[in-house]
Amino acid sequence: MNDVVEKTALLADPAGERIVPGTDTAVAKKAPRILVCDGNEAAAWGVVLSRPDMVAVYPITPQSSLAEYVAQFVADGVLDAELVEAEGEHSVLSVLHGAALAGARTYTASCGQGLAFMFEPYFRTPNLRLPIVMSIVNRDGITPQCVWGGQQDAMTVREVGWVQLFCETVQEVLDTIVMAYRIAEDRSVMLPVNVNHDGNYLSNGIVRIELPDQTEVDDFLGTPDVNWHAALDPDRPMGVDPLTGGATGPGPALFVGYRRGHCEGMQNALRVIVEVHEEWARRFGRRYAPLVEEYRLDGADHALVTIGSMAGAAKDAVDAARDRGERVGLIRIKTLRPFPLDALVAALDKVRAVGVVDRAVSYGWNSGPVHQETLAALQHCGHRIPCLSLIGGLAGADLTQTHFERAIAETAKLLDAPCPREPVWLNAEDR
Amino acid sequence: MSATPTISFDPARCDGCGDCMSACVSAKSTVEYIAQSRIRIVRDDEAGCWGVAQCRQCGDPRCASVCPAAALAKGDDGIVAWDAERCVNCLLCTAGCIYGGIAFSPAEGHVVKCDQCAGAPQCVSACTRGALRYVNAAKLYNRWGELEDLFVPGLGGCQGCNTELIMRHTLRRVGPNTVLATPPGCIPGMGSVGYNGMLGCKVPVFHPLLTNTASMLTGIRRQYRRKGRKVTALALAGDGGAGDVGFQSLSGAAERGEQILFVCVDNEGYMNTGAQRSGSTTYGAWTATTPVGDTGRGKTQDAKNLPLLMMWHGCEYVATASTAFMEDFYAKLEAALDASERGFAYLHLYSPCTSGWRFPSASNIEVARKAVETNFALLWEYRRDRGLRLSRDIDDPAPVTEYLELLGKFRHLDAAQTAHIQRHVAAQAQVLRDLAGMHQDDGLSHCCSSIVPQAVRHETGG
Repeated sequence: MNDVVEKTALLADPAGERIVPGTDTAVAKKAPRILVCDGNEAAAWGVVLSRPDMVAVYPITPQSSLAEYVAQFVADGVLDAELVEAEGEHSVLSVLHGAALAGARTYTASCGQGLAFMFEPYFRTPNLRLPIVMSIVNRDGITPQCVWGGQQDAMTVREVGWVQLFCETVQEVLDTIVMAYRIAEDRSVMLPVNVNHDGNYLSNGIVRIELPDQTEVDDFLGTPDVNWHAALDPDRPMGVDPLTGGATGPGPALFVGYRRGHCEGMQNALRVIVEVHEEWARRFGRRYAPLVEEYRLDGADHALVTIGSMAGAAKDAVDAARDRGERVGLIRIKTLRPFPLDALVAALDKVRAVGVVDRAVSYGWNSGPVHQETLAALQHCGHRIPCLSLIGGLAGADLTQTHFERAIAETAKLLDAPCPREPVWLNAEDR
Repeated sequence: MSATPTISFDPARCDGCGDCMSACVSAKSTVEYIAQSRIRIVRDDEAGCWGVAQCRQCGDPRCASVCPAAALAKGDDGIVAWDAERCVNCLLCTAGCIYGGIAFSPAEGHVVKCDQCAGAPQCVSACTRGALRYVNAAKLYNRWGELEDLFVPGLGGCQGCNTELIMRHTLRRVGPNTVLATPPGCIPGMGSVGYNGMLGCKVPVFHPLLTNTASMLTGIRRQYRRKGRKVTALALAGDGGAGDVGFQSLSGAAERGEQILFVCVDNEGYMNTGAQRSGSTTYGAWTATTPVGDTGRGKTQDAKNLPLLMMWHGCEYVATASTAFMEDFYAKLEAALDASERGFAYLHLYSPCTSGWRFPSASNIEVARKAVETNFALLWEYRRDRGLRLSRDIDDPAPVTEYLELLGKFRHLDAAQTAHIQRHVAAQAQVLRDLAGMHQDDGLSHCCSSIVPQAVRHETGG
């Protein structure tokens, strides 16, 4: 962190001159600009770089500072966007529906109860094929009352039809928000994208990041064209979302056409996500596994499956276990929707047992949601392997290296013993 | 609003005496022969009464539109005038008119029609029973009739529905440079958005959610303003989508001063889904969810006053209107449209529902009129810079029972319930008198507008 120049909401370049993204400056082609900030500020910089026409916000912990950063950037003229301070999350997303149908590139962020409240328009967003980008600063759900991190919010809405990406680091949050617009606005996709970053861990954890150059981002993203397929524009009058259905006539087939087209868009997204990550690596020098990351799987006989920021501590635990001679690796899911079936199966095929660590609960299965997803993927593996559910990090609980060492040990047991039906509650004994 | 005179006919008062025809012949014909009359009283055996065949001085006269020689034209005085110089005696006009209002006269050698005797129609003077009257008709219908109807013909509204009337008139005036939001309810329910790939409207139109009409219009209007385009953001919403489940988004947009024209068509309940209770349903009313039975006596709460709630948001413009008073409605629509260029404009239309309120479909306008004449529906307008004004005198209303007895949904009311409604009507009228009085009183000339919060005034978009 010695190369840190200044910790500030606005960036300073090494010469001490304030730099405003979106303006042509002499430093455009210099070395990457360095910024020290938390995940919410990094997300806000990702928004600035993506140049949305409209941002609608409503505060909710732990998303609030992200909304505040964006509002400040608009107030400072750093971001030229319409800012709508709506009266609730339901309206936040509704405003963006209207804006997108009028041709706007749009952004918002929410989490937890806010996501629950916006569910009605949230549910409709992908069906309208609106390429809205929305951060979820993952938060656990009430009740019991809590304002802390957890992924119950995003996991609960995973069947709604949004693309769902989960970030591990603050840098990945910024980079993924920009990439999300390319994915969402791709003509073969045209779907909204959730960029998930864990509340508390990523939203408030401060690290050094690099800020991509605005002109290069402009070149990467291109000009938004978000309502070519459905518009509310007097120059192109059309009815958007007329009534369909009914038992007879063309309705049922029309409806199937929409549903099937949506599924095809999701499948196309698998390809586009890979292409966009590849181009990002080529242009900006940072490479992320687009769908599923394989970490130290070579020669591994068992592995943890993780998602989101927990992978950091989990990788440390894997490294320590490897140092002790254990043959363990890690699989990190970045893209949960569309489900990266082939990529996950390829990773699972390399091991003989997995333990899936969830920061959310699937009540009906007495298990974790990603555990259920993994079980479904295992059906497509060449061989049957045991798959243990481990649940931790609920309501902001720490998932430390110690917790993951236990997770590795529990997973290793599967190599010689039957897999327990009960999940392992990793924080149950924390004091 | 200026008006033009017309001759009206009341079959209930006509005994078929024919004095009007004789008077017409005397005044207009060169031969004293009754068939030369330009008004003809004819027996309608099916209806069991007398009818009239006479020029209606139509707003969009078919006789003129079929005339190949431009010999017939609607004048500024409201009269469809015949020009002898241009007429080629083709008689197409006689086939075009469906009212028998223009006919060939062998005696004159050309078509003849009523010209209202230069303002002193002799037929009216001759009618001793009052069946014929010479009355003023609003000129505006002719003016507005020339604007394009932007809904398709054949919307599937119930017979006698006033909501369709409101929709068509509103969109005619607002015009094609509009994005129209119609949240679920009667308005899209009659097909205005479309069905299975077919459209119901000629402007960009969409179903918002029942809950988010004002929010979606916010995004649309702001994006066009950002792009320097002037596009009207129009909502045609029911009272449930506006005032119940949609009220949060409505309130938020009004508070932010979004440049939206929001028209609420209030039929006092969820009439599209089978006549269930809403927050706008009258006390005592039968609905599907406030049924009448051994213990149930209809709704047990008063309706909330949605337009007054909107006034307290400090909107740019808020008004109430009725389909029985169309000139008043048009004036308010003009004002609301203008105000929506500066901020939030809210127009509340009282729209009786023939199906859900249980009354004959032919009497919708009559019901709407009686609601106003009894003070049940109060007509007023609020401008942020001028406060609230009453649109008509409310000091001498008819008893509310004259309104209640027209409607099947009130058939079960007992005396106590009726008295409750009468008290509520009186109290609401007094609230409006007080609010309007604040404005009229010299010392408090802007009291009302000053106690209502000032909405953020957005810059008017390009």
